[in-house]
Amino acid sequence: MTGGSRVLLLPSLAVVLVSGVLGIQLAHGGGSFEPLRPADPCAVRDVTSQAGGIEGLTERLVLLGLDGAACRLHVSREALTLELAQAGTPSNAEIVALHAGLLDAVRRMKDAGTLPPASALVDEALDSADLNDFVKAAIRALPDSVIDAALKTDDVLTRTIDNLDLRALLADVDDRQSLDQQLDAAVTQAVRDSLTGRLRDLL
Amino acid sequence: MRRAVAPLLTLTVALVLADSAVVTLALPDILVSLHTTVGQVAWVLIAFNLVLGIVAVPTAVVFGRAQPRLLTAAGIAVFAGSSAWCAWAGSIEALVAARCLQACGGAFALIGCLELLVAEYGERRGVATWITAGVVGTAMGPVAGGLLTQAFSWQAIFVVQVPCAALAVPAALALHAVPELTPDRHRPALRPNLALALLSAALTAALFLLVLLLVEGWRRSPATAALAVSVVPLAALAARPLARLLLPPTEVEIASGCFLIAGGLVGLAILPSADLAWTIPPQALVGLGLGLTMDRLTSSAMQLRLPRVRHAAWTIGARHLGVVLGLAILTPVFTANLRDAQEPAQEAITSLVLDAPLQPEDKVAVAHALGDELTSQQGRIPDLHHAFAALDLEPQARPATDRLERDLDGQLTRAATRAFRDSFLLGAGLALLALLVVVLPRRRVTP
Repeated sequence: MTGGSRVLLLPSLAVVLVSGVLGIQLAHGGGSFEPLRPADPCAVRDVTSQAGGIEGLTERLVLLGLDGAACRLHVSREALTLELAQAGTPSNAEIVALHAGLLDAVRRMKDAGTLPPASALVDEALDSADLNDFVKAAIRALPDSVIDAALKTDDVLTRTIDNLDLRALLADVDDRQSLDQQLDAAVTQAVRDSLTGRLRDLL
Repeated sequence: MRRAVAPLLTLTVALVLADSAVVTLALPDILVSLHTTVGQVAWVLIAFNLVLGIVAVPTAVVFGRAQPRLLTAAGIAVFAGSSAWCAWAGSIEALVAARCLQACGGAFALIGCLELLVAEYGERRGVATWITAGVVGTAMGPVAGGLLTQAFSWQAIFVVQVPCAALAVPAALALHAVPELTPDRHRPALRPNLALALLSAALTAALFLLVLLLVEGWRRSPATAALAVSVVPLAALAARPLARLLLPPTEVEIASGCFLIAGGLVGLAILPSADLAWTIPPQALVGLGLGLTMDRLTSSAMQLRLPRVRHAAWTIGARHLGVVLGLAILTPVFTANLRDAQEPAQEAITSLVLDAPLQPEDKVAVAHALGDELTSQQGRIPDLHHAFAALDLEPQARPATDRLERDLDGQLTRAATRAFRDSFLLGAGLALLALLVVVLPRRRVTP
C-alpha cells in the first residue's frame, strides 16, 4: 500500500460511512421527527362529533368556537384550550374572543348547512326542560314544520350564547350539574326570547 | 494463581474505568430508591469522574516514592470497600461520599495496575493491555450497569465489583515492581490530552444521553437500553482490525475517529423514528470512532514520555475531567430543551384529545386524567398509561382510547427525541473540536 493511499483510505471510508448513515436517515424523515404542530385556527376545519343531538351539536360548536377565538387571539386552538384549562381566571380578551368565536361558529354552521332544524332537537330538549308534562306533550304534538317555522336553530343558539355567562361557565367546567343548569337556563331563555321575537315580527 | 494475576489486574482497570458511566442506566432507580432529586442524583456520576480526574496526577507523584504493589493493593482494597459502601448506602449523601472514596481508590488502582502490568508483560505489551482494558471498560460500563440494574437492582452494580476487586488485591501483592524513579523529564502532551478530554465529553453525550433517551424518553427497560448501546463496544472492537487493514498514520486514524464520532452524534440527533434499529448505525459510527481514537490518543500522550505513570495519570485526568465537562455543558442544555419540549408536547396531546373519535364526556374524562398525570410528573417525561388505566369508560370506547393512548405516547416520544437533539449536536461539536486539535498544524520550533 502506497503512502498516499494509507493517508486517504480511512478518511475516505469515514466520509462514505457518515454520509451514508446521515443520507439514509434524512431520506427517511430524520430531523423532522417532532411533535404534531397545531393547525392554523384561522383556516377552515371540518369538525365532527361521535355524539348526536344536542350534545354533538354543542361539541361541534365548541370546537369551531375555540378555533374562532384562537384565531382572534393569534394563538393556536390548543394553546388557548390549555390556557383556559390551566389558568385560574380567563382574561377579558379571552372571554370576548370566545363569545365572538362561538357566534362565528353558529354562522359558519348555518352557512355550511350543518345546523339541524329545531324540530330535530325538541324532543331531547324537552326531556331536560323544567316544564310540566302537559306542556311537554302539547309541544311534542306540534308538527315539525310548525316548530321549524317558529324556532330557528341559529337564532336560538345565538341568543343562548349571548345569554351565557362564559366566565361562570368556565369556572364550573368540572361540575357537570352546574354546567347543565347554566346551559338549560340560557337555552330556555333563548327559546322564550326567540318565540317572543317571532311573535313580535308576525304582529 | 500466577497466570491469573495479570488478567485480574486488567479486569480491575476495566472495572474502574467502567465505573465512570456504569451508573448511567441506574440513575432513575437510584432517584426513586434514595428519594432524591435529579440534580443530586447526577452527582453520583459527576463525583466519581471529578475526583478521579483531580487525584490522578497527584497519585502518580506518590507512586514515584513508594512500593507500587503495596499502593496498588491498598488502592484496590479501598475501591472494593467503597464499592460495598456504595451498594449499602442509605442516602444520596452517603452514596456520593462513597463514590468519591471509590474514585480515590480507583486512581491508585489504575496507576498501580499500569506499573504492575508493565512489570509483568514488559513496557510495550503492559501499556497496550492497560490502554485496551480502559477502552473496553469505558465502552462496556453503561451496558453492564443496565443489565445488572434490570436483572437485580442498582446495588448489584456495586456488589459485583467487590469480589472482582477483592481478588485483585492478592494479585497486586504477588507482583514485584520497582518504583519508577525517572525524573520529570517531559511536559504533558497537550494535544492528545486535550483531544482525549474533548472526545470524552463527546462520548458522554453518546452514552449518557442515549441511554437517558432510551429509558426516559422512549420508555425502554434498562436491559433493552443496555443491549441497544452494546453496539458501541462491539463496533469499537471492529476498529482495530480495520486500522490494521488500512494502516493509516496515527494522526489520520485519530482524525478519522473524531469525524466518525461527530457523524454518529449527528445521526443520533436526527433519528427518523423511535425505532431502536435507527440508533444502531449512528452508534456503530461512534463505536468505530471510539476504537480508533481513545487508545491511539492515550498511546500518543504517553509515548516516549517519562515518567510513564505521570503521563498515564494525565490521560486519566483528561478523560474524566472531559466527562465532567461533557456533563457540565450538556446537562443544562438537555434539561432546558426538555423543559421547552413540554409546551409543544402538551399542545400535540391537546390537539389529539380534542379531535379524538370519543364521546364528549369521555374526552373530558381523558383530559382530566391526563391533566392530573402531567401535573404529578412535573420535570419528567410522563407515563400516560396510568391516566388511561384509571379511566372508567364504556367497553365500546376502549378501542378509541387505546388508539388515542398510542398516538399520545407517539407524540411524547417525538417531543423527547426532539429535546435531545441539541445536546447530541453539541456533542458532535465537541468531537469536531477534538478533530481540529488533532489536525491543526503544529507551531514550528525555530532552532
